[in-house]
Amino acid sequence: MTYRNMFALYKKELQFYLNNPIGYIVIVLFGVFANFLFVKDIFLYGSASLRPFFDILPWLMMVFVPAVAMRTFSEEKKNNTIEILLSLPISETQIVLAKFFALLTIVAVGLLLTLSLPVSLYFLVTTTGSRIYIPELLIGYLGQIFMAAAFLSLSMFYSSQTKNQIIAFLASVITIFFLIIFSTDFVASFLPFIIQTGLAYLSPITQVGALSKGVVDIRAVYYFLSFIIVFLFLTIIDVERRD
Amino acid sequence: MTNALKNAKTFTFNMILLKSVSKWFGSQAAVDEIGFEAKKGEIIGFLGPNGAGKTTTMRLILGLLRPTSGKILVFNEDPLHKRLNVLANIGYLPENNPLYGEMKVWEYLQFISDVKNLKNPTDITDLAVQLDIEEVLEKKIEELSRGFKQRVGLAAALLGDPDLLILDEPTSGLDPIEQDKIKDLIKKISKNKTVIFSTHILSEVEDIASRLIIIDRGSIVYDGKKPKGRGGVEKLFKKSVKK
Repeated sequence: MTYRNMFALYKKELQFYLNNPIGYIVIVLFGVFANFLFVKDIFLYGSASLRPFFDILPWLMMVFVPAVAMRTFSEEKKNNTIEILLSLPISETQIVLAKFFALLTIVAVGLLLTLSLPVSLYFLVTTTGSRIYIPELLIGYLGQIFMAAAFLSLSMFYSSQTKNQIIAFLASVITIFFLIIFSTDFVASFLPFIIQTGLAYLSPITQVGALSKGVVDIRAVYYFLSFIIVFLFLTIIDVERRD
Repeated sequence: MTNALKNAKTFTFNMILLKSVSKWFGSQAAVDEIGFEAKKGEIIGFLGPNGAGKTTTMRLILGLLRPTSGKILVFNEDPLHKRLNVLANIGYLPENNPLYGEMKVWEYLQFISDVKNLKNPTDITDLAVQLDIEEVLEKKIEELSRGFKQRVGLAAALLGDPDLLILDEPTSGLDPIEQDKIKDLIKKISKNKTVIFSTHILSEVEDIASRLIIIDRGSIVYDGKKPKGRGGVEKLFKKSVKK
């Protein structure tokens, strides 16, 4: 397996967003909303922690990630450029992975825009003699990257299923919405305890919880890696179809 | 290896071999029990009315479709199982020439060159001169005329100097002047290559092809030498294709 062809596709996908105003708009909007939603209540939290911010992020990613990923395969299928890709000496696995890592880079750039928050918080709490616990912050961000990657793999799978970007977007948003609310008390009040416990385990919110607290929970890492691998694998299977 | 053995090997080596190949979409046969072989240096005009099965056959050769039954070998290898090996030596111009419109011409050609893992960057410059696209190298593909787009598609197919060229309706949608230019280009680039091009324009076959395959309603109705003299192809076509 050579990585040059994979890197070429990674670069092409990345350039699409860098040469396209829509790419910047989506990333900046994500950054603005994420910053605003945290900052507006910053003095109400009463602690020098980013956990309230990490609680907000899944809801933003529910829209941001599918918006970034919806065109990945839908557009290729609609314009038939997928035929160009599949007639080149690059494997289906390489195609899916190159696109996945390009999208992950875009999402990571979006998350980078929120780094202003911990920096501001750092200066804010220093004046009060308190301090921010850096490892908690880093592990928290790692958890968010894992969650974004999981949502990306899901959105890419939906994008591979249809030529219509809007359908891919809506299907992803709805699925992520249900995955998020599986962990809420709202769902718990409706469902029997056993079912609710099972569903809560499936929710990325439950899994990211420990990481947001700064605890490296291997079960959560395993959950996210499994989630990502399953949906990337399903996407690869779709791209490999020759019906 | 002795010369005799080399010659014997060359003699039996088929660039393309199709044996009793069928492709069904549901209850509809797109191609039914077709078979032919193509030798090195042949320029095959693949002629047939719309919906006759030309594109399906080309996609089968490229491994973009799985045959329902039959055997396909390209360079003596199965294009589905040895996909990367086979595709590394094929240049393909798909029907309607789908391209990444947002890319500049040189970016696109560089992308194709990188995915094909080509080492020589002068290939692009040489091809640009050969196909007369130097003046549009800095332009976005979506801004180009149809004729230029077709030449860009041809340049992409020719990158890496592949032994086998598969061109699906290379002149469709072009005005007569552009059609002539593309025909001349195909003649120029096809030296020492096996070319299989589909068309429903009879004069094209007369001008370019050394061999003619006529397909009608999924079956090959003629496979042989191109008839001599002006109008010979038309007469043969009318005789072979059912009304």
